[in-house]
Amino acid sequence: MQVQLEHVSKSFRHNGRPLEVLHDVSLTVEDGEFVCLLGPSGCGKSTIINLIAGLDRADTGQITVGGTPVTGPDPSRVVVFQEAALFPWLSVLGNVEFGLRVAGVPAVKRRARALEYLKLVHLSKFVHAYPHQLSGGMKQRVAIARALVLQPAILLLDEPFAALDAQTRAVLQNELLEIWQLARPTILFVTHNVREATGLADRVYVISSRPGCIRDARAIEVPRPRHAEDPLLQAHQHKILGILGEEVEKVFREELGETVHYPEAQHDAPSDHAKGMHI
Amino acid sequence: MGRLWRVLFPKGYSFLRPEAVALFVALWELGAWCSPAWPSLLRQVLPILWGDFQDPQFMQALAGSARRMLIGYSLVMLVGVGGGIILGRLPLVDQLLGSFAVAVHAIPGAAWVPLSVMWFGMTEQAVIFTIILGAAGIVIVETDTGIREVPPLIQRAARTMGARGVNYFWLVVVPAAIPKIVGGLRLAWAFGWRALMAGELLTSVNGLGQRLNQVAKAQRLDQLLALMLLIAAVGILVDGLLFKRLEHEVRVRWGLV
Repeated sequence: MQVQLEHVSKSFRHNGRPLEVLHDVSLTVEDGEFVCLLGPSGCGKSTIINLIAGLDRADTGQITVGGTPVTGPDPSRVVVFQEAALFPWLSVLGNVEFGLRVAGVPAVKRRARALEYLKLVHLSKFVHAYPHQLSGGMKQRVAIARALVLQPAILLLDEPFAALDAQTRAVLQNELLEIWQLARPTILFVTHNVREATGLADRVYVISSRPGCIRDARAIEVPRPRHAEDPLLQAHQHKILGILGEEVEKVFREELGETVHYPEAQHDAPSDHAKGMHI
Repeated sequence: MGRLWRVLFPKGYSFLRPEAVALFVALWELGAWCSPAWPSLLRQVLPILWGDFQDPQFMQALAGSARRMLIGYSLVMLVGVGGGIILGRLPLVDQLLGSFAVAVHAIPGAAWVPLSVMWFGMTEQAVIFTIILGAAGIVIVETDTGIREVPPLIQRAARTMGARGVNYFWLVVVPAAIPKIVGGLRLAWAFGWRALMAGELLTSVNGLGQRLNQVAKAQRLDQLLALMLLIAAVGILVDGLLFKRLEHEVRVRWGLV
């Protein structure tokens, strides 16, 4: 389903003062498209996800999904969060069944479907494990299965692999691409990793920081499977890094100047610049 | 035997240590060796306790205490969890009545006995009422807190998957509150056990508390110590073997350890 944001602005109150996190953002994600939102920490990319998910409301502008305005959360627009956000009291199977259970799918049917999706993310052996027994990568697989089992028209991923090590991240990126090519949901994927964005997406939106607005939108017309050494891919990466360089400098200046603290500005980026060109 | 040992001295969570038990016995015996007025644990107090267990009258008292605790604690669970859920669910009720629960919890169990006796007379009901008032407050407070403090990320994840209303409450909010509820129930056991003893001491209901009175009046220090040892042992064993273990398992599963 097509996702459209038109002139969306959003402010939060911070220390009693309004703080604009999104300023006049317009973007479109076509049906079945894989789009990455790329930007520095605190640029409001998570806010965009929350708005589309219906977890938050825009101050101005309109958000439509398949032509219908978003009014609240809906299982056709599921979010996968950076921290898997699994329910610790449910087994892996229970977690994947959760959305179906809420939707009133009968027990036998939902179990069969949950098992099918757990197989898709290679977790058939861990069906009866509990979240606390899983590694970070496995938890994220469960979170993806838990979202996909609802067969959402739109899959929203909020830095889903940012907390994982480089190898696990690469494996999960490939699996996500495979799943996407199989079921073709519309994917909106938030990341602060340039290589991740260009490696995955059909199109990349570069978001500036504070307040977030679209700095650049580019189609990555490189056929899949993509290789890191692909010159066209590298050209895209260089251009994006150039744009982001200015942005990152802006962030640093602001932080050193101690003007304001942003609720979203978490310094959570792992310090492996060399591995993934984090910003 | 090896199995009993593992139950009493578990490895996974801290409960009893054999060294601690040995130290306790040693210190007790040292006291007995120094002072002739202090009875020996191994030669006097434990045999008395053993004898008590053969005494049908004593067993009747023990059964009476156990029955009152069972009834009282069941009602504490019902009132505490039920009340906590209602308070957690209805913010207005919480604002009006929440501080009452805290206030009730602030009054020690023993302080409820006179009121219970005024209302129910020297009866079993008075003791049970004391247990409820002595222990339900903490369960209400903890359940209420657990219900209102569902981690925001869990809330958002549940909502994006379509959970709302009754489903959201029973499938997300209540399970998310379980660690708090279990913590409250564990404390309530200790408070309830104390309230039971206070209630039985001050009413003439046949139970362990009343026997404390009797042996003290008869000036039998050895019998009094045997009873107190039993009361302490029941308290620590139920807490350690049931509640602490439950709490430990819940905390592990909920990822809190």
